[in-house]
Amino acid sequence: MARPIRSPARLVIALSVAAVLAVFLIYTALHGTTPSLQPSNLEGHAGTVALTGKVIGKVAGNADQTQGLRFRLHNINGASPVVPIVYHGSVPDLFKTGRDVNVTGELVNGKFMATAMTTKCPSKYTATAST
Amino acid sequence: MTGLIVGALVAVAAVVIVSLPFLLRSDESDELQLTTSRGEARMALVEERDRALSALKELEFDHRTGKIDDVDYRELVGPLRRAAAAALQALDAVDADRS
Amino acid sequence: MAEVGRAALVVSFALALYACVAGTMAALGRERRLADSARNALVACFGSTLVAAAVLATALVRHDFTFEYVASHTSRDLPTIYSLTAFWGGEEGSLLLWLLVLTGYGALAVMLNRKLLSDLIVWVVPVIGGIATFFAFMLFAVASPFNTQTRAIDGAGLVPSLQNPYMVAHPPMLYLGYVGLTIPFAFAAGAMLSGQTDERWIVATRRWTLVAWMFLGFGQILGAHWAYVEVGWGGYYAWDPVENAALMPWLAATAFLHSVMIQERKGMLKVWNMVLVAFAFNLSLFGTFLTRSGVIESIHSFAKSSIGGWFLGMVVVSTLFSVALIIWRLPLLRARTKLESPLSREAAFLYNNLLFVALTLTIFWGEIFPILTQLFEGVSRTMGRPYFDFFLRVFGLPLVLLMGIGPLIAWRRTSVHALLNTLVWPIAAALAAGIALVIAGAGSSTPGLIAYTFSAFVLATIVLEFVRGTRATGSVFQLVSRNRRRYGGYIVHAAIVLFVIGVAGSSAYQTNEYRQLRPGDSTTLDGYHLTYNGLQRIASVSESGSQTQYRALLSFSGRAHGTLATSLIDSSSLGPSHQVGIHTNWLRAEDLYVILSQRLDGNAIRFEILVKPLVNLIWIAGYVFVFGSLVALWPDAQEQRRLVARLAFARG
Repeated sequence: MARPIRSPARLVIALSVAAVLAVFLIYTALHGTTPSLQPSNLEGHAGTVALTGKVIGKVAGNADQTQGLRFRLHNINGASPVVPIVYHGSVPDLFKTGRDVNVTGELVNGKFMATAMTTKCPSKYTATAST
Repeated sequence: MTGLIVGALVAVAAVVIVSLPFLLRSDESDELQLTTSRGEARMALVEERDRALSALKELEFDHRTGKIDDVDYRELVGPLRRAAAAALQALDAVDADRS
Repeated sequence: MAEVGRAALVVSFALALYACVAGTMAALGRERRLADSARNALVACFGSTLVAAAVLATALVRHDFTFEYVASHTSRDLPTIYSLTAFWGGEEGSLLLWLLVLTGYGALAVMLNRKLLSDLIVWVVPVIGGIATFFAFMLFAVASPFNTQTRAIDGAGLVPSLQNPYMVAHPPMLYLGYVGLTIPFAFAAGAMLSGQTDERWIVATRRWTLVAWMFLGFGQILGAHWAYVEVGWGGYYAWDPVENAALMPWLAATAFLHSVMIQERKGMLKVWNMVLVAFAFNLSLFGTFLTRSGVIESIHSFAKSSIGGWFLGMVVVSTLFSVALIIWRLPLLRARTKLESPLSREAAFLYNNLLFVALTLTIFWGEIFPILTQLFEGVSRTMGRPYFDFFLRVFGLPLVLLMGIGPLIAWRRTSVHALLNTLVWPIAAALAAGIALVIAGAGSSTPGLIAYTFSAFVLATIVLEFVRGTRATGSVFQLVSRNRRRYGGYIVHAAIVLFVIGVAGSSAYQTNEYRQLRPGDSTTLDGYHLTYNGLQRIASVSESGSQTQYRALLSFSGRAHGTLATSLIDSSSLGPSHQVGIHTNWLRAEDLYVILSQRLDGNAIRFEILVKPLVNLIWIAGYVFVFGSLVALWPDAQEQRRLVARLAFARG
């Protein structure tokens, strides 16, 4: 007859929690996380980062060609340093001047070379002026 | 104007619904009939009995469908039957106590 | 008419506050009439909220642009159904929906249980009242749907990608889910406040939890399908914060659904269940805070709004309240029995819970990581997709395995030999499946192969359970109708397995390539031979601007024959968007998915072509999931009679 073991449950729980924590810590330390930046704090960051901002000014070029799609970003909220972007890749839906986008890439010689881009899905957009 | 009237109607309806228990006459006392500690004890016993009985039922079902073999069944059914019997006995005692 | 709406919301606020305050006083002072009055207030609150909702709905359908909300979310040319569903298109409307569902569920739960569980209900009323007070306050003071403006000529309209049947159903389903979790939480709180911490509250709320869980799960699948078909990147889930905000409470609720079974049978895990239900509820609030406050980068950018801060406050208050209650009632929540063996169904449920909670916490950590790094480092860092995928496999695959083993283990304890005996056939089935899969080429992805093999194992155990059960009872129908919970649960497990197979197939074994084609060119990809036939150019002008649709026509042969069209739409007002072309090969449940990626010089088009094996199993799984849930929660007259008898006896 098995007599009730003194709470293997507690032991199991404790060990599991410890194991999970260990896996977390190891994973987050080893696998890089990507910094999420804005044009205002991009300066100086090396390596691959994610940059979020609002597309301003004219959009030129072609994302498919070597010169890339060229546009500029500044902070979503208000003016800030403007970052020139050179993008190669598929142009996501709803991309246009005035849209908030997120680009992933590296800062190279003052230009942000981006290889991935997503646009923010607008929950509503402003109408053409209504009287 | 209609807006204000409808709004006022909604407010009045709300007040009426909320005051209903105070407006309606009732023979019940105003004290909430919450379960007494004795009732709690009885409740616990009934739940104990139901738990034991459904555990037995589940064991029978598992045995019938072949999930538990005969050896394990014989080993497990005894304690469960005793637990159910004990629960029923405790309930009878309370019953007798009541009457 | 807006004044009616505003007035109704003020009345809702007053009623909710009354329900909370008077309800508390009545419970403390044991005053029957005051308790009844508080309960009536909750019901009336639903009434006044319904009035407010009707006002908004009418304004939307009638295109009353004096309502700012109507002007912002609809336009004259919007079909009526989308005008109506714009109700939840914006923040204020979705808050109103939340309050409506909350008071509706609350009123129903309280009225249905008022005689049977009066001791609990006197405390449940103020808890629901308190939560409703928060939402009603937000609605009349912070984010009102009834702000007016001078009449506009036309409204801003709804983004085309949201004009879609999925978007009609997805938000209300999610809300019926999220908000539904309030009921078990309120009953749990009521149990602790009234000191009646036995299984009564669990038995009473079991179906509510199931219903909420079912809607939340199905709502997410609808959202995923919408993303797959409309957003068109070839995927269906991006581990986006908004998506995770719905997933986390669902995972916690799944853990809860399982662990209450242990409490019902063994009287164990009482503290754990309280913690879980509070966790699930607070996660649903927290999720809303995350998505509405703009604190986290998300592709679903809701306007950074003022309600974020309020929601955070509510989450903090609610969490503290839950923790305080549990600590206060700890003595009452002591278990009656202990876990007897690590190889028992109780233990299996416990492992299941640990894995679910671990997965939930992982996602939670991934969600708040950017906020924490922002606070401590000054720079916010995000966890990428690999993080979530990794942990999904680490915790998810063992969970799949447990789904198969758990039902076959007996309560209390099982001997290893007995367990292996029952597992012989499923293990054999899994091995056979594994070998067949490797031969068929599935060895290219190890996680995929493991997922498939585990799925085969679980399916075999489920079939085994049905076969054995039918043999014992005589007919499948009898079997299921007499054991609804158990067999409904098995059907749900089967749905999850289908889901896992669909996800594994469409992610681990998908083909994804770019091809550049001129009209007349052909290409072959994974069993499909595609020919690009030509491009249609469709220009149109509307009130909002002009747009040009470039529609590429393709035909294909090979594994399936047919044609499909895929478009790139260039809108002057919106920018570019895509309408993907999907062909479903039902025989293989797989999709041929083509995106018109880019128009190149010289008539060429770059296409992104995907072959997604078994992806349609995911959507099928959604329906099987609903069916299984319905079976599990179908009313059982016998169970109800037993509960009534129990309580009658206890009352004397």
